[in-house]
Amino acid sequence: MTHDFVVVGAGVSGLTSALLLARNGYSVALVEKAGHTAPLLRGFSRRGVHFDTGFHYAGGMGNGEPLDVFFRYLGLSDRLSSFPFDASGFDTIRTAPDGFEFRFPSGYDRLLENLVEAFPAERSAVEAYLRGVRSAFDSIPYLSLDAPLDPNGALRRVFGPTLRETLDSLTGDEILKSVLSTHCLLYGVPPEEVSFQQHACIVGSYYLSARGIAGGGRSLATAFDARLDELGVEILRGCGVASLSVAPEGLLRGVRLDDGRELRCGGAVVTVHPRTMLDMAPGGSFRPAYKKRIMGLEDTVSAFMLYSVSDLPLPILSGRNLFVLPSADSVRGIGNRPLEESPLYLTAARGQADDVPRGFIGIFPALSETTRAWEDSVTGNRPESYRRFKEGITDRMEHLVKRYCPELGRATACADSSTPLTVRDFGNAPSGGLYGVKHKVGQYNPVPLTRVKGLYLAGQSVTSPGILGAILSGFMACGNILGHDRLIKGLLACR
Amino acid sequence: MTNQEIIERIDRSIAEEFEIDPEGMTPEKTLFQDLGLDSLDIVDLVIVLETAFRFKIREDEGIRKIRTLGDIHAFVLQKKNELESIPR
Repeated sequence: MTHDFVVVGAGVSGLTSALLLARNGYSVALVEKAGHTAPLLRGFSRRGVHFDTGFHYAGGMGNGEPLDVFFRYLGLSDRLSSFPFDASGFDTIRTAPDGFEFRFPSGYDRLLENLVEAFPAERSAVEAYLRGVRSAFDSIPYLSLDAPLDPNGALRRVFGPTLRETLDSLTGDEILKSVLSTHCLLYGVPPEEVSFQQHACIVGSYYLSARGIAGGGRSLATAFDARLDELGVEILRGCGVASLSVAPEGLLRGVRLDDGRELRCGGAVVTVHPRTMLDMAPGGSFRPAYKKRIMGLEDTVSAFMLYSVSDLPLPILSGRNLFVLPSADSVRGIGNRPLEESPLYLTAARGQADDVPRGFIGIFPALSETTRAWEDSVTGNRPESYRRFKEGITDRMEHLVKRYCPELGRATACADSSTPLTVRDFGNAPSGGLYGVKHKVGQYNPVPLTRVKGLYLAGQSVTSPGILGAILSGFMACGNILGHDRLIKGLLACR
Repeated sequence: MTNQEIIERIDRSIAEEFEIDPEGMTPEKTLFQDLGLDSLDIVDLVIVLETAFRFKIREDEGIRKIRTLGDIHAFVLQKKNELESIPR
């Protein structure tokens, strides 16, 4: 079988890459290890409630905003129906000890207004912070269609300053710093490690607007499937990739599947974790320096998660998320804290037939080291000691949610829970990191181009995390094949 | 470490990490044309030097002017001198 391109991995970056290449005239095969595309986007159901695992809400999906324009170019818009999260406050930040609450509204102007109202003495700090976020966000190619393609642009996100350093230089108000750092939970890197540039690249989209998709991640997965079908992309489900075939002169010539079949191709976009990609590449494909760099990359935090169903509707999570901070500095070192000192992110789980919150997902960041004792076990066959450990963690999570959010606790019951090992095994994340490799100061993540001609990398680890980051990574990778100018021109026509 | 030891360390690290024959590594050799590195290797070169000598290069303007192996020698020696002249 011969294709112009093979795309490895049918997560959001792989789906995007396959659509981009097919839309621009190439024959494409998309290879996915799981039995269906976008396994993480599809989530799972318990007791009649659907729990989204890959998509909860997105920034920048309003009319003409970056994600909306991407969806239009990819041909997904007509297949999706998005709805606004509460514009007056889509994310509530609650500090547990004193009951202080701040609500993030949609739009920079309202955000400025709300922040100044909550922190009247900090107007100049807030203005400088928001100016910085906006200017950094607007400098990212593709997110801003007017931004020049600067080959050194990505390095600014490696050099720093960190978010923490930037906030320290602006204000001494620890609560304000915590509020502005809370969204670190959306990308799994603490404020003292992430660069201000990278933080802005992510939160900048939420500051524009926050929206959900009717039907959640499943609708997005279904839309991708329908469009792939329309463009004639061949999808090979249930097919793991054993190795990449590279000719002696360093040219990619195909992809060998676990079942022994070889897909010949002119090029491949590989979207798996960078360490998994190295395992697929023949020994001499990369220099020792590159291999060491990839092997040494630090992953984003993992998490313990609680999935609960409720007898009563949960208006507090209708078009809103709730973030709980047990102390002002609890976002610092996220993951590396006991549950009782860890921040908590709560988001709605919806009924099968409608978008009414009928349960919630509680996410407590944690390091994968917490489940290291059982790392050799596999899903469905974990030892008794792991089950007891997980039960203990689940009880503590339920207790904490009840303590922090009495309005959620009354009519809810735990339907399931997960640990960093679950994230590892269901998310194909070698260390259980929620968002792939960390984007942090001093860490050089791989770029889409590689030393192997015809081999391109995409995914959260390469460009940026989340739905927007994964789609952006597809554009960044395929721009090397199709021409960035061509893609940007196409996007401009959709704006 | 003497200057000669530093130069030997640089050459050894680059030879190992980029699989270059140490025999051909003379100061006048250009990185791209003679030693076969390309722009994708620059990040790894920075990391190799940072790891070998435990300093941060990152935004150092001097790195952009490097063309030959001798330029790397001079860059690292200067960087070491700068760091050693800082009073502790």
